[in-house]
Amino acid sequence: MTSDLRPKLIGARVQRVEDPRLLTGNGEYVDDIKLPDTLHVAILRSDHAHAVIGEIDKADAEAMPGVIGIFTGADVNGLIKAPTAFSRMPKYQATPLTPLADGRVRYVGEPVCAVVAESRYLAEDAAALIMVDYDPLPVISRAEDAASDGFAPMHEGHESNILVQREFRKGDAAEAMAGAAARVSSRFRMYRRTPVPMENRSYLADYDRGRRKLTLWSSTQVPGVIRDALAEAFDVPGSRVRVVAPDVGGGFGSKTSLYPEELLVSILARKLGQPVKWTSDRLEDLTATSQAFDETVTAELGVDADGRLLALTAEILGDVGAQSIYPWTAALEPMQVAGFLPGPYVLENYAASVKAVATNKPPGGPYRGVGRPAACFVIERLMDMAAKELGMDPAEIRRRNFVQPDQFPYRIGSGIVWDRSGFTEGLEGAIEAIGYEALKAERETARAEGRWFGIGFASYAELTGLGSRMSAAPGMPINTGTETATIAVDATGAITATLGIADHGQGLGTTMRQIIADELGVGVDDITVVQGDTDAITHSTGTYASRSTVLAGGASHLAARALREKIATAAAFMLDVTPGEIDINDGLVEAVGTNKRLTLAEVGNAVYSEMGRFPPEMRQDLDLTATRFYDPQFGTTSSATHIAAVEIDPETLMVEVKRIAIAEDCGRVINPLIVDGQVHGGVAQGIGVALYEEVIHDENGQCLSASLVDYVVPSAPEVPPMDVVHIEAVAEGTEGGYRGMGEGGTIGAPAAIANAIADALAHLGIEITEVPVTPERLYRLLKNAEASRA
Amino acid sequence: MTGKITICLKVNGRTYERLAEPRILLSDFLRHEINRTGTHVGCEHGVCGACTVLIDGESVRSCLTLAVQAEDTEVTTVEGLGEVDDLNLLQRKFREHHALQCGFCTPGMLMTATDILSRRQRLTEAELRDALSGNICRCTGYEHIVRAVAEALEETLGGQA
Amino acid sequence: MHRQFRHGEQNVKPPPFSYVRAESVEHAVTLLRQHDGEAKLLAGGQSLMPMLNFRLLAPEVLIDISRLDALRRIEETAGGLTIGAGVRHRQLLESPIVAERFPLLGEAMTHVAHLAIRNRGTIGGSISHADPAAELPMMMVLLDAVIDVTGPDGVRQVEAAEFFEAALTTCLEEDEMVTAIHLPWLPAGAGTAFTEIARRHGDFALAGAGAVIAGGDVRIAVMGVHDTPLRVAAAEEIIAGNGSIDDAVAAVREAIEPNDDLQASADYRRHLAGVLVGRVIRLAMERRA
Repeated sequence: MTSDLRPKLIGARVQRVEDPRLLTGNGEYVDDIKLPDTLHVAILRSDHAHAVIGEIDKADAEAMPGVIGIFTGADVNGLIKAPTAFSRMPKYQATPLTPLADGRVRYVGEPVCAVVAESRYLAEDAAALIMVDYDPLPVISRAEDAASDGFAPMHEGHESNILVQREFRKGDAAEAMAGAAARVSSRFRMYRRTPVPMENRSYLADYDRGRRKLTLWSSTQVPGVIRDALAEAFDVPGSRVRVVAPDVGGGFGSKTSLYPEELLVSILARKLGQPVKWTSDRLEDLTATSQAFDETVTAELGVDADGRLLALTAEILGDVGAQSIYPWTAALEPMQVAGFLPGPYVLENYAASVKAVATNKPPGGPYRGVGRPAACFVIERLMDMAAKELGMDPAEIRRRNFVQPDQFPYRIGSGIVWDRSGFTEGLEGAIEAIGYEALKAERETARAEGRWFGIGFASYAELTGLGSRMSAAPGMPINTGTETATIAVDATGAITATLGIADHGQGLGTTMRQIIADELGVGVDDITVVQGDTDAITHSTGTYASRSTVLAGGASHLAARALREKIATAAAFMLDVTPGEIDINDGLVEAVGTNKRLTLAEVGNAVYSEMGRFPPEMRQDLDLTATRFYDPQFGTTSSATHIAAVEIDPETLMVEVKRIAIAEDCGRVINPLIVDGQVHGGVAQGIGVALYEEVIHDENGQCLSASLVDYVVPSAPEVPPMDVVHIEAVAEGTEGGYRGMGEGGTIGAPAAIANAIADALAHLGIEITEVPVTPERLYRLLKNAEASRA
Repeated sequence: MTGKITICLKVNGRTYERLAEPRILLSDFLRHEINRTGTHVGCEHGVCGACTVLIDGESVRSCLTLAVQAEDTEVTTVEGLGEVDDLNLLQRKFREHHALQCGFCTPGMLMTATDILSRRQRLTEAELRDALSGNICRCTGYEHIVRAVAEALEETLGGQA
Repeated sequence: MHRQFRHGEQNVKPPPFSYVRAESVEHAVTLLRQHDGEAKLLAGGQSLMPMLNFRLLAPEVLIDISRLDALRRIEETAGGLTIGAGVRHRQLLESPIVAERFPLLGEAMTHVAHLAIRNRGTIGGSISHADPAAELPMMMVLLDAVIDVTGPDGVRQVEAAEFFEAALTTCLEEDEMVTAIHLPWLPAGAGTAFTEIARRHGDFALAGAGAVIAGGDVRIAVMGVHDTPLRVAAAEEIIAGNGSIDDAVAAVREAIEPNDDLQASADYRRHLAGVLVGRVIRLAMERRA
């Protein structure tokens, strides 16, 4: 029984518990961790995109001062079983992951040799002296080529370079399209990106020879996944592998997969008997960390005369690079493009075909939004194109087509089911936040002055907080659908919550405390949260796919309630009342209506340290600890509408994003500060996706954008003021009413900005079908439009 | 080739003497020779700003500075700003405004902000964003950082209109 | 700059070198001569260090000249301003005499990279590096700077237009260094303007332009669109002769040979150069006293 008069922490702008440590330079990221006698690794990487590895001349390198050894695939690959991401999808072709290249390289940046030395400086000196002979093979640099028969499969045993393919079908799209009053279509292209977390990947492995136990400190979002993979790879019991994700400096999906370097340092630590550390530099990050968003979508939308959606067809080609990443598989992103393309709309006829193809580029992996940014870009551009054709306001065409309250739950063309999230409320919320009417008037004025001013909308829905009945990739080797929480009070009254998640900036240490504090009746500072350590919990995966609040939050609610009952039982006994008369407020356990009270420390001490305090038949169930697991089964629908205003200088073609409004629904908000922060950060990356960032490979598979000078991420002046509105349509089906969030900025903002640019250029008849819209691309579009007018 | 030399630096008021190669970057000296790991390394080509420290009160990229160049100067790192239970003005504002998420860019951001505050100039929001443009953050989208620094600047200038 | 991922060059720590602090300009020059092309000067390090970190350079010796007080002075003379090569960007930006007599310089320098770079980078270092998309090299040609180059045989003076030979290439011999820059005072009543376009604030410019207009003295320069900063005499003659700005713009587009690179095509750069030249001419004209 919780006092309803006590102000709740859930919903409050609680300052983060994590901050004082991080603000004072007391963070502990993997590269900060110092173990005696640590050896350092520099990796020699392939400079060929596709080649057979010939002779490796390392004699001069081995002789360099401070060098302990130089290792190739022949030395290390056979020491483990190569992790392979499996999938139940038909025609799926798997690719094994080896720590170093296995006789053949398939992307520039693939690790070939590991130089182990006393310092990173010395290791790099030696790496510069290694000569590798390559026998070049034909390079597949375009997804279209990978999908054709013109190139041999790049993996042994494969029939083609199509790693996975699938069709989605609902209704009769061809027939419905034929009856459409208006049809709009295009070939859309979203180019390749990389997440660029501020902390480069870093791994430190230590092998205890006495206990035969491997500990890996990893800059990872998924310590549980890594630990299970390592146990399998080394064929050892899980108790002999510990993976710890300490402070992790951002991930955005780039740290959600198993990397060859994690395998490598683990093998080397076991082999050499000393701790082994490898920290990626930024050049390596830009060329060997997983990449994303490389999608080509040819799509058509048919609508009736009132603008209602009749049919949607799409052909999706996803360039997933040289490997099917572990554990997500190559299916992850391309399937989600198809899965989410129908959007938050009523649409009965859908046909999509998807191919995920291997090219000689770094492996594709998750990046914030996964397939949803491309899906949203395509459908929202089509919506605007259809609106333009019919002379409709883009707000109205969306309003008219949203799934309505009485239509939920609604199954969309790909089989995904939306529960009742605030689609329409999001649109209206964003319209109000940006002041749409005034903004339209501003646009009129600007146009009268010859300025290129545009407004763009993007509405999306996504599935978050996935339970066990929803798989991001059916048959992939991990369970993403459950979380477990263990909460305990010790003999001093200290509360410790152990969770299977792995916070890397989202403030879960604080939001989970808010949940537990509210349930238990204590303050956030009374609770310690342990996360990111596979030794602390029986099983875990980590933090990814906007799941932690729903799943770990749900488990925390349940565990805290169960713990509270135990505290009440013990205290009731101690105070000679019934458990139902016990309340906990501000850490004090009280018998309501009396002045009898105990501190949590007194209760804890009584249970654990006072011999014979409780009768034996009570004591068995009285351990002040509770473990609960939570599975939301399906998951939650989250949604948002973004509205962007842009102005383009007609002469220089520089695009300025003047304002963005976002109205988002993530269900019940635990901490508005943190939700705002996630929206802001996602939108900033979305601006990068829309205007600045692009991984560029030439036809030989050489990465041309291999520094932060060329891979351009937004800095403060590139991000405009943002208005954020929280819709808070409480999720009926989840514990706590939460919906997952965090990825929306990269989903909605690129589409909204692309639409705004198209609006600004509407008078020139230019459509926007490719992102990023760089100044050079705009220049070409204008030149082409001029030429066709001539 | 070259052997090690003695490098003597004053960091956050304390003097350190270490034997190291002349090529050692100030960022690596701080992190690995004297264990001040609060300064972070993000790119080592002077773009991201995560490694920013102060030399004689001015912000510099420690990845573009040789440790030996910092001799006879006062180096200030994030560890010199405040303590966990005694945050300085900027740190408190960062916390209030949720101006950090993963915390990796934060030390560099704080050092740049400290330089900005020390110039005691009133700045518009656009000017403030320009001044922060050399520090990349991938988590926050900058909005809360700008608010935190603007408020700290306001308070530093005494809140005059 | 975009770097192709090359064998052995992919890691980011400087290669080994010896380090020596120059005690005087003479000492620095002597060391340069001694090491016969295997030594590099270290001033602010903001251009040199990224190249060292990328191992694009592997000098045997680094000669640190950043503590030479003789190079850090800004002095007024009858003819103009003399700026020591070791003067940092921040110093220039905060100098009252520069703000008063060469506001154009201040305008351009707020675009130079970011705060921390401007705190350390020096004018001598920037012009010796000679990036064709950098602001200071263009300022030199626009302001008719004369550059003091000191070698073993003493000082020779080089006009800015002769100093910059090609992208990242100056007339400096291996045993020479820049020691000072002389900026002649601008004509009375001159109007000046600078503008540039970059992907983000502080990035290398895709294109930039500057103009100084005072009666018959017309100077028009561009950066980032040719392999050196460029004064376009044909455009200057047109404006000095009261010709149209459009004609001057066309002359600039005609004169330059921009590069294609990752950020922009030659075509787009040519287009931008013209746009920016038009803007600075108009602005400089408006600002004439």
